[in-house]
Amino acid sequence: MHKFFELLDKYLIPFMTRLSEQRHLRAVRDGIISTIPLIIVGSFFLILAFPPVPFLAAIVKPYAGQILIPFRLTMGLMALYACHSIGYYLAKSYKLDGVSGGILAMAAFVLTSVPVAYSDKGQALLMENLGGGSMFVAILMAIFAVEVLRFAKSNKLTIKMPEGVPESVAKSFEALIPAAIIIPTIWVIRDFLGFDIHHFVLQLFQPLVLAGNTLAGILVPIIIITLLWATGIHGDSVVGSVARPIWLVLLDQNIAAAAAGQPIPNIAPEPFFQWFVWIGGSGATLSLVLIMLFSKAPYLKSMSKASLLPGICNINEPVIFGVPVMLNPLLFVPFLFGPITIGILTYFAMDMGLVSKPYILVPWTLPAPIGAYLATGGDWRAILLVLVNITITAALYYPFLKAYERKLIREGAAGELEEEKK
Amino acid sequence: MKLLLVCSGGMSSAIVVKAIEKEAVKTSLAVEVKSVASGAFADEVKNGWDIALVAPQVRHRFDFFQEAAAEANVPVIVIPPQGYNPLGGAIILAEVKKVLG
Repeated sequence: MHKFFELLDKYLIPFMTRLSEQRHLRAVRDGIISTIPLIIVGSFFLILAFPPVPFLAAIVKPYAGQILIPFRLTMGLMALYACHSIGYYLAKSYKLDGVSGGILAMAAFVLTSVPVAYSDKGQALLMENLGGGSMFVAILMAIFAVEVLRFAKSNKLTIKMPEGVPESVAKSFEALIPAAIIIPTIWVIRDFLGFDIHHFVLQLFQPLVLAGNTLAGILVPIIIITLLWATGIHGDSVVGSVARPIWLVLLDQNIAAAAAGQPIPNIAPEPFFQWFVWIGGSGATLSLVLIMLFSKAPYLKSMSKASLLPGICNINEPVIFGVPVMLNPLLFVPFLFGPITIGILTYFAMDMGLVSKPYILVPWTLPAPIGAYLATGGDWRAILLVLVNITITAALYYPFLKAYERKLIREGAAGELEEEKK
Repeated sequence: MKLLLVCSGGMSSAIVVKAIEKEAVKTSLAVEVKSVASGAFADEVKNGWDIALVAPQVRHRFDFFQEAAAEANVPVIVIPPQGYNPLGGAIILAEVKKVLG
């Protein structure tokens, strides 16, 4: 087993962490994360418009259109917000002006859409082109814009301001030449040559999005995230850098279907993992904490008491590093196979329609049954599935925890009754 | 002594902040401890900290944190994994003392 951890440390970890720390992916990660407050609050309005209780649903039905407006202008324009932040973070990573990067990125992205004329109301942009479905266009445009900014700066293609001009004024002129390159370029491609950038990029990434929604598409992230955490690396943050744009496109499709009153298409946006697999944190460790409460080893017992509240909020670093699960050959087995098992089970439960598919993003620190209930738009069967999943992983952890406990006691490392001191 | 912790989202390090504060009270050590998310680190580290502590699960971003900390002349260490839990305050403070003397 130690050989196995060594192999992970030698191949998987450096590859995955280098990938996730790649400059552009890092900017994508930070940029998307900065939009999460808007997504969470915005999709809350979706629950308000379609409450899970039939009685309430009937009352708000006439107002659903109005209630959905904040949702449409936050979640519905997600790619626009993300594009600005990605441009900002990418520019910052090059030590360029973040605001210029953000503005140029946004302009490049908006230019990929063609306004539609309404006879008496003026011009309109299709919101669909600015929503989560266009996330990949937003990412590519942000990268394009900031790379132009960087190119201009490193080749001294800037307008020099005379001494004494305030810095903020000088900075806004720094983006002048990059803007003069970016805007005509996209204009020529989109409007002159008539090349539909949105359609092209959508087609290009479609296979990835489709794959993300298959059984393999949920197992690959589950396995990689767990392997990374098994060596004590934040797997979710690493894998999320690559996978989150895909999860967001899946979520956006679900949420659009929900808002239109159609059946939810996708199983695997991020809430799938958050609420049904990572119960208590990556590795589904809440069940481990629960059974540790009854451990004979005082050390494990006091650790489980200290980890219980964080665990209910899906924070499991105390368990990973305290028990520890990290580099622990005994606990590694259920730590990996627990999430795989419940991942497969949940996938099929949703595939067969036994439990609703998730389409709402709620804060990840909520207790899993509540999060699962809200994420599925108020399906009580989701709560049941979470409880079943906790039971399954608890049963998987149990024999291995017992073996680990015996090992601690045998080695005299089970600890004194520390928790009594409190 | 002013300690700045950084983890991924600033959640788990908040738990460890409590652990350090508890241990500091026990050993009557005056400390100020704060935790930030990765994205906020580069700005926060400039605000007069004595040492920056990187959570073990984000140790793969150490170079990135170190670069930001070096500009502010703040030493950086990775928290030993066995200290990164609600009962690990003593282990972390021992590491800090090794660096700050």
